[in-house]
Amino acid sequence: MDDLELLRDLGRELGDEPPATLARQRGRLLDAARARRGFRLPGGRWTLLGVVAAVTAAAILVPAFMLHGRGAPPVAAKTPAAAKAMNILLVGSDARGGGPARSDTIVLVHLPADRARAEAVSIPRDSLVDVPACKSPKGKTIPAYRGLINGAYSVGGVPCLVKAVEKATLVPVDTAVEMDFRGFKGIVNALGGVPVTVPKTILDPQGRPLLPAGRQIVNGEGALAFVRARHGLGDGSDLDRIKRQQQFMAAVARRAKSGVLADPVRLARFLAAVAGSVRTYPRMGPGELEAFAGSLRKLDPGAVRFVTVPVRPAPEDPNRLVFDEARARTVFAPFRNRGM
Amino acid sequence: MVSEMTAPPTVPACDADLIGRSFDEPEAFAALFDRYSAMLYRYVSRRLGPEAAEDVVGETFLVAFSKRHRYDLAQRDARPWLFGIATKLVARHHRSEAARYRALRRSPVDGPAEGPADRVAAGVTAWASRPALAEALAGLPRRDLDVLLLVAWGDLAYEEVARALGIPVGTVRSRLNRARRKVRSALGDTNPMDEEE
Repeated sequence: MDDLELLRDLGRELGDEPPATLARQRGRLLDAARARRGFRLPGGRWTLLGVVAAVTAAAILVPAFMLHGRGAPPVAAKTPAAAKAMNILLVGSDARGGGPARSDTIVLVHLPADRARAEAVSIPRDSLVDVPACKSPKGKTIPAYRGLINGAYSVGGVPCLVKAVEKATLVPVDTAVEMDFRGFKGIVNALGGVPVTVPKTILDPQGRPLLPAGRQIVNGEGALAFVRARHGLGDGSDLDRIKRQQQFMAAVARRAKSGVLADPVRLARFLAAVAGSVRTYPRMGPGELEAFAGSLRKLDPGAVRFVTVPVRPAPEDPNRLVFDEARARTVFAPFRNRGM
Repeated sequence: MVSEMTAPPTVPACDADLIGRSFDEPEAFAALFDRYSAMLYRYVSRRLGPEAAEDVVGETFLVAFSKRHRYDLAQRDARPWLFGIATKLVARHHRSEAARYRALRRSPVDGPAEGPADRVAAGVTAWASRPALAEALAGLPRRDLDVLLLVAWGDLAYEEVARALGIPVGTVRSRLNRARRKVRSALGDTNPMDEEE
């Protein structure tokens, strides 16, 4: 064998066949092409894991961290929820006023009864599913149809999305938590900002600087830019972005521990901000949220596993995804374990 | 199982026609994705691994789309252009690419897969030479590496490599020769069985 042939062999061994998710990159291209035509797509490009991490951190892990280390856990006693496993649907919406809200991030989180760890499974918003019949917020009945999973949210809000997710995943959802851009910013602001290190200046789509490089404390707006930035930071890969979001979560946790925790007045304000920034279904007030957070005392952010539902291109449309049923069943298996 | 991206049913147009059409009809550009994304993915995943490859392929088409007005429509085949863009994007990951080759240099791996006898024999040779190859790749300067891998892993002809990198064909030849010499000497050092016949 000559050297080129040996090299070709090595290449075949190192490389990979294109995965089904490559279809998403086609979608990115089409988005760009359509934007050229003057269809401005509403909202920004929330990337799945970006918001997953941010929403999870803000809505669940941060209260958990704050309560952790507050001495005796007074809330444990009054939290019946702590006794059983829970499935939570996190919905990050891109509502920013103007245009219909779209659910940009859909994540199912499973907390086992002992709360020692958590599984977070992202559901791509461009998944084609059977949306069951449900009622719109105005009480109109929407018949069942087949369509994109985030369409269920657009037409019927969180309750319809919950039904669609339950049908597609066969996982019963106990609680849904909805948060938008404003909520995320509110939580970061209630913390008094979060310190981050920005490796390179982050630019907006028009090329104007959003965040300068360097170590700094970012407010809500800056934090949003930091967790959303896709291009020009690190090596630009998805893994890099995930790393950045984990960094952010850790920074949020440290910030909460050293600042808000030490000050009861700020703590109360912070919990109110969390309660006011997220909508929960069924509704939880600050007290219940605190109780729920109390049940998470043992959970450390490192024990949260993030995965995405296994998908493949939809047979009827290569720009859409459908669940890879067999593999999805395996991923969701722990979610159906209600006993422990 | 879906093994390949779905190809458009009947698109007789050449790449240049598609690009020209996309000036008025931007969505037409997606047909180029259907034609070449799988090919580009294989090339990039060999260099950077599957995680980064997906993103780099997506970026490649976004960059190409934004530069489509500058495409020379006399060139019917857009492959060299796309591989050139992808190669530039790969360069941004040079640290992880080099680390990947360095890791191969050390890691003892499973032996070759089962298969017909000659494939196994070939596999044994390839497997045995892997650390030396990886060592050579890790040590090549980027300009030589790009030429070598566009030929070996991108399956481009010399003229196509020249177009992809915007350099004369003569330069492609000299860079390729230099790179192959280094690879051969690395192989020769550790694997005397593989001397040139």
